Amino acid sequence: MNLEKHIYTSSNSYSFWDVVKASLKGFRDSFYLAKQLAKRDIQAQYRQSFLGVFWAIFPVLINSLVWIFLQSSGTIEVTATSIPYPAFVLIGTTLWGIIGECINLTTQSVNANRSIITKINFDKEALITLGLVKFFFNFLIKIGLIVVFLIFFKIVPSIEILFFIPLLFLSIVFFVAIGILLMPISLLYTDISRLIPIGLQFLMYATPVVYAMPPDGIMRKVMLLNPLSYIISDLRNILTGYGIENPIFWFFGLLVTIVLNIIALVVYRISMPILTERMS
Amino acid sequence: MGEVLIKVDHVSKKFAKDLKKSLLYGLSDVFSVITGKKQKKLLRKDEFWAVKDISFEVRRGECLGLIGHNGAGKSTLLKILNGLIAPDEGSVTMYGKVGALIELGAGFNPILTGRENIYNNAAIIGFTKKEIAAKFDEIVAFAELAEFIDMPVQNYSSGMKVRLGFAIAAQMEPDILIIDEVLAVGDVNFRAKCYDRMSELMKNCCVIFVSHSMPQISKVCTWSILIEKGIIKAEGENGKIIEAYYDYNYTEDKPILIFSEGCTLEKFSTVQRTFKGEINKLKIDIEIISQTEIKNIDVSIFLMSRELVPICQSNSKLFDEQIILKKGKNQLAFMINKIYLNSGIYNFALTIEGIDTKKHYLWIQNLNSIQVINEYTLGSPIIIDGRFKN
Repeated sequence: MNLEKHIYTSSNSYSFWDVVKASLKGFRDSFYLAKQLAKRDIQAQYRQSFLGVFWAIFPVLINSLVWIFLQSSGTIEVTATSIPYPAFVLIGTTLWGIIGECINLTTQSVNANRSIITKINFDKEALITLGLVKFFFNFLIKIGLIVVFLIFFKIVPSIEILFFIPLLFLSIVFFVAIGILLMPISLLYTDISRLIPIGLQFLMYATPVVYAMPPDGIMRKVMLLNPLSYIISDLRNILTGYGIENPIFWFFGLLVTIVLNIIALVVYRISMPILTERMS
Repeated sequence: MGEVLIKVDHVSKKFAKDLKKSLLYGLSDVFSVITGKKQKKLLRKDEFWAVKDISFEVRRGECLGLIGHNGAGKSTLLKILNGLIAPDEGSVTMYGKVGALIELGAGFNPILTGRENIYNNAAIIGFTKKEIAAKFDEIVAFAELAEFIDMPVQNYSSGMKVRLGFAIAAQMEPDILIIDEVLAVGDVNFRAKCYDRMSELMKNCCVIFVSHSMPQISKVCTWSILIEKGIIKAEGENGKIIEAYYDYNYTEDKPILIFSEGCTLEKFSTVQRTFKGEINKLKIDIEIISQTEIKNIDVSIFLMSRELVPICQSNSKLFDEQIILKKGKNQLAFMINKIYLNSGIYNFALTIEGIDTKKHYLWIQNLNSIQVINEYTLGSPIIIDGRFKN
């Protein structure tokens, strides 16, 4: 009889590519588990709520409405946007929300499932998949809202919209990788999870999210230095019928994402036993 | 004997006593593992060895009992065996599918129904979708919850929850089974079913069984290991190990006063404290100081297990003995004619109450512990003095 064999040993003797392989295998083997857990969380969430999926879009909607009101009432004056301002803000805040969600997703998943992590041996990659599945579920609802806005403002996308899904996917994978790399620290110290939302809020104003990049001045310089600007504005552009402004940026983004992801998977897998020890 | 399924080779694990340090060390461990820097084998400040240099092998068909007091390192060792945490030194090799009966009903969401939670928990403990579908009916039948299967689990009683959890776990077909004693819960019938299923599973596996109940260990396990302060104190045949466990644990216990009104216990002692085999003619000297004269009372002496569960009792009313406590010092003696106890440590308890008034005067337990060492450790506290004839 051929029995599967597990060897548990001190975690500082490992081979990099073996861990990558084990991690990919973990993703494959745990897909059903991740799906099941996602189903559990989503069912439980909506069973306890009257408004249900509405909560997925509510924060974005409110945030956008505030800015739309500020702009339309003349309280603030922003650089003219290429598309109607409400659509500009809504797409901007939705995309910005995605960044935050992707960074937090792994930490959140791990935190919510502490009790099973410390008791049961399963492929921990399931927790990343779990976070992603839940993320995409909410994302579909938000995309629905964006589509409604695009139709309402009669914005016709060009052929370049075909790039939207791959580039968005690339961005998601990039920020998830960042989130995975931050997870070990933010799980041990709550400081990180407190810092992230504050940092993101601050960064939002240095990124063309609720206003377009001004033609000159200090803000323009700041925004040009901020790599997030390229991500947000290009994604918005291709969604609304404009072209990609920075193809080279995206090309390097792809390379960085691949490297970052492989590192993130290894870090995740080897830090998990050490973290488990601190959770129980 | 079958092939070796568990091989534990010089396994050690350190823990930090201080939370802040523990987190800091955790972080530095993560970094040094990622950068491939060799960690120092020595203990850092505020660290201790939770498990130190443990080695053993278990074969298919064997059941190893892990014995030790709270904090001895059993749980840490189980976590290492289960692959939840990595050892700092040494290695563990497990062959085959591992099933752990440690936590029942992991991943249950109280909002969801029993039916939905069967899928959740089964997926977590490693079933595929197909397997769950095939075993679903059996799980529901085993848990005896067909009627309530579509009710949210938060409305289940705690017994029902555990029954459902066990029913799911019981469907595993592992090569290695790790069992923590928490199992076998619920009412008597269900408990019997649990044991039944566990012994069925054990037949074809290699089992590690953790328990504080020595009778269970001696009944279930083929051999056992005593762990104290993270190291193996003794290993081998059950009886010896259980004796070593009791020896290690043998400390003079303090009496526990639960109730005292009108009188106090000054003395409760026997000359002999350690026995081999049957106990014959054991005299207990008792001294009670009473504030008033108390007549018409009912005095009970209990023998209790270490877990303070009464095992047997003597009672003055039953034997129609008239005991009067006069004001001041009272000397009493109680004679145990004959009793045959299982190996282990026992202690006494004394209660005094009024027969007519039902008034409680005294209730003290954990008195004068005695130790019995027999050739074998059996499964129940009292041994029947009888012989087979054929």
